[in-house]
Amino acid sequence: MTEGIKHETVLDTGAEQLGKVYAHALIGSANSAGVADEVVDQLGRFVDDYLAKNPQLVLAFSSPRIDEAEKGRVIDRLLGGEFHPVLINFLKVMARRGRLGYVSAVRDAADSLRDELLGRIVAEVRTAVPLDDSLRQTVLSRIAQATSKEVRLVEVVDDRLVGGMVIRIGDTIFDGSVANQINKLSRKVRSGFSRELLQRFDNFAGNGA
Amino acid sequence: MKFSSDEIASVLQAEIENFDSKVDVSEVGTVLEVGDGIARVYGLSGVMAGEMVEFPNGAIGLAFNLEETSVGVIILGDYLTIQEGDEVKSLGTLLSVPAGDAVIGRVLDPLGNPLDGKGPVQTTVTRPVEIIATGVAERKPVSEPMQTGIKAVDAMTPIGRGQRELIIGDRKTGKTAIAIDAILNQKGTGVKCFYIAIGQKDSAVASVVEVLRREGAMEYTTVIAAGASSPAPLQYVAPYAGTAMAEYFMFNGGHALVVYDDLSKQATAYRQMSLLMRRPPGREAYPGDVFYCHSRLLERSAKLSDELGGGSITSLPIIETLEGEVSAYIPTNVISITDGQIYLQPDLFFSGIRPAMNAGISVSRVGGAAQTKAMKKVAGGLRLDLAAFRALEAFAQLGTDLDAATQSQLDRGYRMVELLKQPQYQPMKMTDQVLSLFAGTRGYLDDVPVKQVQQWEKDFLHFVHSKYNSLVEDLDSKQELSDAIAEQVIAAIKDFKTGYKPEVK
Repeated sequence: MTEGIKHETVLDTGAEQLGKVYAHALIGSANSAGVADEVVDQLGRFVDDYLAKNPQLVLAFSSPRIDEAEKGRVIDRLLGGEFHPVLINFLKVMARRGRLGYVSAVRDAADSLRDELLGRIVAEVRTAVPLDDSLRQTVLSRIAQATSKEVRLVEVVDDRLVGGMVIRIGDTIFDGSVANQINKLSRKVRSGFSRELLQRFDNFAGNGA
Repeated sequence: MKFSSDEIASVLQAEIENFDSKVDVSEVGTVLEVGDGIARVYGLSGVMAGEMVEFPNGAIGLAFNLEETSVGVIILGDYLTIQEGDEVKSLGTLLSVPAGDAVIGRVLDPLGNPLDGKGPVQTTVTRPVEIIATGVAERKPVSEPMQTGIKAVDAMTPIGRGQRELIIGDRKTGKTAIAIDAILNQKGTGVKCFYIAIGQKDSAVASVVEVLRREGAMEYTTVIAAGASSPAPLQYVAPYAGTAMAEYFMFNGGHALVVYDDLSKQATAYRQMSLLMRRPPGREAYPGDVFYCHSRLLERSAKLSDELGGGSITSLPIIETLEGEVSAYIPTNVISITDGQIYLQPDLFFSGIRPAMNAGISVSRVGGAAQTKAMKKVAGGLRLDLAAFRALEAFAQLGTDLDAATQSQLDRGYRMVELLKQPQYQPMKMTDQVLSLFAGTRGYLDDVPVKQVQQWEKDFLHFVHSKYNSLVEDLDSKQELSDAIAEQVIAAIKDFKTGYKPEVK
């Protein structure tokens, strides 16, 4: 297993599929214990605080050379009192099945699954300058109004947009950026200009004959 | 011609004033992997099969495989500058190409981009590349002839407007030559021609274009070229794109002739794409739907009913066989789809019989309906006679003594074979064909030495045109060989023979 060392743009659809299955199971068992929100938050904290800061821990978790009992002991010792027993058990199940290397995939899937269960959508907003509070509120309410769902905003600042805003919900993009408009305008002017040029040439050739 | 800067500015101003800035709404995905003309894209969850997508470098793709977690896209253009992680935009439309009169006389790639350096195609007419062929109610049987100008073809395997006639044979047997002659012969008939080159050497395409230009055929012909160096997806869509351009004329009551040169290369390109997309391979590693790939293409050649204007598309698909193997997968498929085939054989070709058509196994399933009455009269039974002659010829080589009847049948056969030879790029008019075939089949050539038959034919036609011009005009206008005209032809032949002395070489 070599996961974790990949280039960041590589989307491992296999891992994503696997994450979805485990996330379903995790949220299902947490729901029956009535602690879904808590467990998903803790899973997020585990990935952000422990795994992201300790690459060696990630390697150890994903290595097939360390047996599952040892991984179970590490989980107990490291997370014992801090995290909910449902999560601890879940991680041990993953360890037993040799899937501990996919924890972050499970986390991504669990986040989106919970959003889905709560009827919440995630909107990525890209702007050239950081959003201020009033603008953020306007964007939030407009998207909520348009989709009639609760909205969670993810903000990205990208100065290549020049101005305007690009909103992405799922796979759909609403592109109102200045960069895009300049692009479109330049394409239109170019084609219009070449059309005009050819037309004049035709007239010229026709008159000359 | 010169543009002043004021004019440039005014053009720009007009374009800018007409520009409306709207928020672009589009569905996007991310490239997971790319190579060999295909890409796997993550996202694009609402994309439909066959929908167009656009890559950041401007290349167009088609959603080809819709899978559970990703979309397989074929890239119609430059895939070398597409990178992993690039954003892919779905365009919400199907692929379409420019059509109409503006494409005539052009050399285009399968997307309608110019390859002849004459600038973009100036037209507002476009047609979708993939449409479902017209149904039963919209068609009528093939009834008008589509003259190819080749004696052997027009006499023995006549082609009608709306028919699909396969040209099949090994490499270097003159397959393209027949198709080109058919295009040349459409001069002045109003039939628009489309020559679609798939997976061929660019030099071969260039020489075809040169021939068409030299013979004045580019005035009514469009060449669509996806050469051997084009990516497989472009080779795959080329025949559909060419047919879409031809359909514009068909649906407007006109007639079109489409040459697919050749479909075995298109099948190979399709196989490559399918294997890269991990579709399961079948016989000869072709995917299971390679038959549909050809059948839906050739089904679009049709003769429309009178209510729809009576337009037609005639197609001449070409298939290259290996070592004469017609029972390979693709040849059998295409043979079963088309309305007949012209089978070209290398041994005939190299013994000087050109076009090297094997009369025995070449057929036209539309048959007599696609022949003028005059041609039907002189050529009826010719194909079977010639096939019988071939069998007899093999037998005669055993050196046995032959009775007089067999010997005369052989003599007639040798002369007919000689008469059906025809040089390249010299299509003949229907009347000329009828006159020479009349002389041959009625036995007026039996006393001409075999080696002089071609010269005799040439001189005879020259003689008739100069001395019996009214007869030629009569035949041309009536298209029928009535007894009166037949008598005149016989008289002309006799007149010619009395004064004829072949040049001694």
